[in-house]
Amino acid sequence: MLTIYKRFWQVNWAEQWQYRANLFMYLAYWLVAPIVYLSVWTAVARAQGNVNGMTANDFAAYYLTLLPVDILTSSITYHIFGYKIQDGTLSNELIRPTHPILTNTLVSNISFKALIMLVLIPIWIVLYALFQPTLTITLGSFLMAIPALIMGFLISFLMESTITLIAFWTTRAYGPMELFWAAGQMLSGQFVPLTLLPGVAQTIAKVLPFQLWMYFPVQLMSNKLTPQEIALNYGLQVVWLIALFVLFRIVWRAGIRKFSAVGG
Amino acid sequence: MHILRVLRAFIRVNLQQDLAYRSDIAMQIVLSLFWTLWEIASLGIIFSNTPSIAGWSIWELIALSGMWRLVNGFMISIVWPNTELFNRGVREGTLDYMFLMPLNSQFHVSVRRITIWRIWDVLMAAIFIAVGLSNSAQITTLPNIISFVVLTLTGLVIIYSLWIVLIALTFWFTKFDNNVTLLSALTNTGRFPATVYPAWLRLIVTFVIPIAVATTVPLQALRGELEVWQILGFVLIGVLAVFVSSRIWKVGSRKYSGASA
Repeated sequence: MLTIYKRFWQVNWAEQWQYRANLFMYLAYWLVAPIVYLSVWTAVARAQGNVNGMTANDFAAYYLTLLPVDILTSSITYHIFGYKIQDGTLSNELIRPTHPILTNTLVSNISFKALIMLVLIPIWIVLYALFQPTLTITLGSFLMAIPALIMGFLISFLMESTITLIAFWTTRAYGPMELFWAAGQMLSGQFVPLTLLPGVAQTIAKVLPFQLWMYFPVQLMSNKLTPQEIALNYGLQVVWLIALFVLFRIVWRAGIRKFSAVGG
Repeated sequence: MHILRVLRAFIRVNLQQDLAYRSDIAMQIVLSLFWTLWEIASLGIIFSNTPSIAGWSIWELIALSGMWRLVNGFMISIVWPNTELFNRGVREGTLDYMFLMPLNSQFHVSVRRITIWRIWDVLMAAIFIAVGLSNSAQITTLPNIISFVVLTLTGLVIIYSLWIVLIALTFWFTKFDNNVTLLSALTNTGRFPATVYPAWLRLIVTFVIPIAVATTVPLQALRGELEVWQILGFVLIGVLAVFVSSRIWKVGSRKYSGASA
């Protein structure tokens, strides 16, 4: 099993290394939103001292921590797998004895992240020098956040993959996908730290899985959570991970049957 | 006129292409409505925490969001589809045929594919701008309104010219098929007044990838924040941009030797 993953890693890494110059461009998409929101919220915080207790520096620290977390935990399954359902090339992968999404697509996701993180590091250092936030990350909080990052990534990966699979029935899944992205921006903590959402929205956001791959790891890393909150969110991660894995398997099985009916 | 007849033919063909996928259009309009709600919600959240951003009220930001929608609509309906066609043309060599046609090649490349139903976005933009402006307390004068309209057009022309330069670069660097990625990634900066950004980013969105020139700057003119020399300066830059970009296009297209050659 490990050898399979190792092979997929070699293939995907070599493939994406070819396009390393393009990575700078793709990275722009990841950079713009957090920097825009950082600027907006620091402008607001500076004008009135703080926003609900958060100072301009807090916002800068929040978004600069969010940048790498966003890249580490986001998923690109829709872009690298979605079209295979649409044009039927998935058939080639189905005859292999490996699960197309849980091996090839998963590894492709990870190798893409590894490469783009390499590009992010120098840019992040420049941004750090430009905004000069006081980060509250310690070695302990960083280590504590590693399992949260891994589970967060798996949750977003399974959720995005499941939505991509809708294409088995509709051929293209950009509609549900855009809804997913929009909801994610609002409820994951990317647009705004969740504590600034209005009451009901905040409660909803804290239960839904979106924050588990962004707000939770960021706050955990920044030492902003109480032990109870940490335990609660880790519990939520485990529950969502299991639920989404089961859902993914069900949708995959049903979808494959539908797919062979179309292609066969 | 020749050019107008060609443009009409292009529009007719594009309309037919779009209408072949009617449920797709319905889906896109639903999504566009949804994103509109998203935007209003996001502004609502920001302004539940503050009365203004960098001196702009919520109504002014709604107007700005209309301006952004205009630029974004231009990107989605013209820049993206035509860039895609252009890049494919360079890669596969089909661009050669385009140069053979008795039609200005820059014009041809710019309007070959137009997602017509995106006119919907222009409509939404107009509503946002009108609602935003009529509710904001700013008192404006006729000269301010005229400079607003002139600067909006200037801004769009400048962005158009930059796009032509970016795709023309492909004539020199054939592998440059990420030519508009930065432009489209930075479009989202137009949703907020450029004055909230740190100086370095403000410089980028005003002078390097000048999204703000079509979004923030016209509204600043409407608010009476710009001096006459600044307004004239932007118009002059617009005229220069048209001239320089068409020169670059001509020089580049002469250099182009085609993928098949």
